[in-house]
Amino acid sequence: MIEYPSPTADDLLVIAEQVWSSYLDPEGVNPLIQMPPGETPKEVSAAVSVTGAWRGHVVISFSAAASRHAAAGLLGVDYDDVSTADITDAVGELVNIIGGNVKSLLPEPSALSLPHVQTGGSGHWPNVKEICSLFGLWHNEPLTVSVLEGTSSTVEAGGVGA
Amino acid sequence: MVIDDSRAMRLILTRICTQLGFTVVEAGNGREALDKLGAMSELPQLALVDWNMPEMNGLEFVTAVRAEARYKPMTLMMVTTESEQSQIVRALAAGAHEYVIKPFTPDAIVEKLALLGLVPNGAAA
Repeated sequence: MIEYPSPTADDLLVIAEQVWSSYLDPEGVNPLIQMPPGETPKEVSAAVSVTGAWRGHVVISFSAAASRHAAAGLLGVDYDDVSTADITDAVGELVNIIGGNVKSLLPEPSALSLPHVQTGGSGHWPNVKEICSLFGLWHNEPLTVSVLEGTSSTVEAGGVGA
Repeated sequence: MVIDDSRAMRLILTRICTQLGFTVVEAGNGREALDKLGAMSELPQLALVDWNMPEMNGLEFVTAVRAEARYKPMTLMMVTTESEQSQIVRALAAGAHEYVIKPFTPDAIVEKLALLGLVPNGAAA
């Protein structure tokens, strides 16, 4: 039987650094800086759910400015030209990539949901416990990546709106 | 052909392919891609296919394409966040020729396309 140790904040940092170096900071000019645990930003949240041998969610929460920087970086547009649709698309893809890589650390078989994005409100995930979180600062704006494990037999979609 | 439900990811892949000399058609899911293929008089050489998409996912698209004899010349490359060995095996068994895991760099895409003989070795995106 394969042992699957729980993902850690270090795992999240490695995954996030790969994403940043591939898409958001390929020149290494504005790296994601790991910070001590603090308050989770609430303006924009993106989540994917994992179901199967492991059940839970991978969630990224951004300040409004951090989400706008993410969309600008991923889409290659100016910060001031970013639309709400751009933000939804970009942070949804970011959580899809990070969630998929987190899933590879979890027991198999499991499936990844499509991303859900909410702007302008805090997400709520019932019946979960936090496994690990990465607190970061990017462009001097906060963001967090969290892995939440379901504590009941079902993972409620809840969380953030589609 | 670039098939991904994320506009940002389509843009990234389209940019890479365009710089390599490809003309790109985009689709937001497997169903839309099949519809576009059905309307084409000249088939694309290559499809870059995401896995997790609404309506028809990438694995279903690969399976559908491989079931059609006239699409046989197309090269299919999965570009996805699904990184478990079992998923890679499933995609290759269904008929994908290559597999790239997100996040990727442009060089990773170019290397795979060179392995498939679709771009010269040393091409730059």
